[in-house]
Amino acid sequence: MIEVSGLVKDFGAHRVLDGIDLSVQRGEVIAMIGPSGSGKSTCLRCLNLLEAPSAGLLRVGDVTIDASRPVTRRQRLGFRRPLGMVFQSFNLFPHMTVLRNVSLAQERVLKRSRREADEISRQLLDRVGLGAKADQHPSRCSGGQQQRIAIARALALDPEVMLFDEPTSALDPELGLEVLNVMQELAAGGMTMIVVTHEMHFAESVSDRVLIMADGRIIEQGPSAEVMRNPQTERAQRFLSAVMNR
Amino acid sequence: MTAGFLAPILGGVIWTLALSAAALAVGMVLGALLCAMRVSGGAVLAALAAMLILIFRAVPPIVWLFLIYFGLGAGWLQIGAFEAAALGLGLITAANLAEIFRGALKAIHVGQWEAAQTLGLPQVSRLCDVIVPQMLRITLPSIVSYAIGLIKDTAIASTIGVPEIAFQASNVSQATFRGLESFAFAGLLYIGLSIPIAMASRRIDLRLRSKVAR
Amino acid sequence: MTGLLDFWNQSLPQLLTGFTLSLQVTGLSLALGIPLGLVLALTLQSASRWLRWPSLVMVEIGRGASILVLLQFVYFGLPSAGLTLSSFASAVAAFCWCTAAYTSEIIRAGLQSVHHGQSEAGEVLGLDPAEILRFVILPQGLPVCVPTLLGFSILMLQASSLAFVVALPELMSKAQLIGSNTFRYMPLFALTAILYAAVCIPATIVVGRLERRLSRHI
Ligand SMILES: Nc1ncnc2c1ncn2[C@@H]1O[C@H](COP(=O)(O)OP(=O)(O)OP(=O)(O)O)[C@@H](O)[C@H]1O
Ligand SMILES: [Mg+2]
Repeated sequence: MIEVSGLVKDFGAHRVLDGIDLSVQRGEVIAMIGPSGSGKSTCLRCLNLLEAPSAGLLRVGDVTIDASRPVTRRQRLGFRRPLGMVFQSFNLFPHMTVLRNVSLAQERVLKRSRREADEISRQLLDRVGLGAKADQHPSRCSGGQQQRIAIARALALDPEVMLFDEPTSALDPELGLEVLNVMQELAAGGMTMIVVTHEMHFAESVSDRVLIMADGRIIEQGPSAEVMRNPQTERAQRFLSAVMNR
Repeated sequence: MTAGFLAPILGGVIWTLALSAAALAVGMVLGALLCAMRVSGGAVLAALAAMLILIFRAVPPIVWLFLIYFGLGAGWLQIGAFEAAALGLGLITAANLAEIFRGALKAIHVGQWEAAQTLGLPQVSRLCDVIVPQMLRITLPSIVSYAIGLIKDTAIASTIGVPEIAFQASNVSQATFRGLESFAFAGLLYIGLSIPIAMASRRIDLRLRSKVAR
Repeated sequence: MTGLLDFWNQSLPQLLTGFTLSLQVTGLSLALGIPLGLVLALTLQSASRWLRWPSLVMVEIGRGASILVLLQFVYFGLPSAGLTLSSFASAVAAFCWCTAAYTSEIIRAGLQSVHHGQSEAGEVLGLDPAEILRFVILPQGLPVCVPTLLGFSILMLQASSLAFVVALPELMSKAQLIGSNTFRYMPLFALTAILYAAVCIPATIVVGRLERRLSRHI
């Protein structure tokens, strides 16, 4: 479903991603962990072209982007179409009702009628347990609710892959749990997911595969339980023991 | 290309600068006074200052100039055009600077006042050594950007006959029928005047900052 | 005292017709200038230098040259370039230019105050730049500018008094006209000042309140 090879990202003279290779099968759930500043967010943001990669090949479905060539807007739109993204800070539109948040892109991008879009939005909001909030503004919702709305908003465009950048880091543990439950259901429903997270429990029990990043590289990857319990490299051991003992 | 006919306009520069400086000086003094009244603690004084600030700003500069030059001039107080302009623009400047000063006073940490007090510094030295230098640093960028605006506002003094840039441009335009070049040149002069001031202020600001950092 | 009031009473109707014209010129300049300011705010950030540079020149001249000189340039200067405008049209053109230049900065600051994550969210949802602007950035960024724009509008009303140099019969011209007939400058300009203040003082107070209310919410 996703194929990344030789992905490099420089910010000026600072090399943040240093040759990432990754392939993701349809329906796979991947957890990406690693110390702060290791490049996890940057990697995810390159994956949907929020950051322009400096070098490397990216493929999603049958659209390929070559970082060494200029990317047209049409290519970028086509590449992003199957990708849904959820941010750490939700980024809901505060001036719209929850329902409009979820419906807007359906109308503009998928050209659904307002009635059709709203109907689908209400179904999705029900699915994340927030049907009752549809007509309120996001500021009236808790952080956990806002993040679930953001998930519904991304799902409304029928993505094939969902990208999550630390979706629960801005939340109290209890509220984070609501979000994790929704994500777990998504995973169980067969959604392809890449999740940057500090939730070791999620990484271990929900994801199929764990990637550990450090200094712009993937230093270790494999089936979740194996990587988490029995890391091979010294750097990964150090990181895992640091987070586990917290 | 004979641009020589524009030369008199250049002669207006000195008047523009002099008037700006005079209005700024009037504004600084009156502004400090108004600010002092506002923070004095006396309710009547503070209300009076607030009212004056409001009034100074609510009347267009040209109306102030006419009021002072023609109005007061009609029997009350005969003053020259330059003085009238400096006073009129100075009033508005004072109102604006008073607000800038007050904002800066608020920004200076209460601790600074208390520190000055516990050090047993007398009131005057407290003000001069501790508070004023800090105020200068905080307010300098605002004062400079205000001064740049003021330079352009002095053009209004041409209407009461101060021989500054706009006045000269108007004269040249009438004498030569070349309004296009005259006023374009005058406009460029105003833009040109503000550039060195902005640059100088940036340099001074940097120096003041590095002094604090050290 | 009664002499003064009688004089004011006689002059007031004429001054008020002048003031109406002042308000009209100001209103029209703002109505045309602020949308133009929005356009400039956008073209100033455009990637194309063919949009960016001319916009920058427009803004720098509009802000840097004195508004009085701008006005005289349009009224006395442009005719020799083959463009003759009435005093009303000249005033509107010059004030509109000035408004566009200043408000472009105000609006740019307002739009930049919208968190970057907002446009990213629009982007990952597949909205195109125009849609992001229309549905995400403008609805959040423009309300932020409103108090500053209103404050600027008060200044423009005051600046409209400069239009008397191009013989537009607005408040200041009327005052001068009556003054040159009666030589009673002091009471006349005092009344003129009162008229401006009667509009500007309440407006300033309202804008100040609005500003404080808005900053409390942020
Ligand atoms: N826009 C940018 N410009 C310059 N440097 C950046 C930029 N974005 C990220 N970086 C740098 O890239 C490195 C990786 O950042 P990134 O946000 O990808 O890390 P992360 O693994 O997501 O960390 P965290 O767990 O704290 O979110 C950091 O050193 C950061 O300072
Ligand atoms: Mg991150």
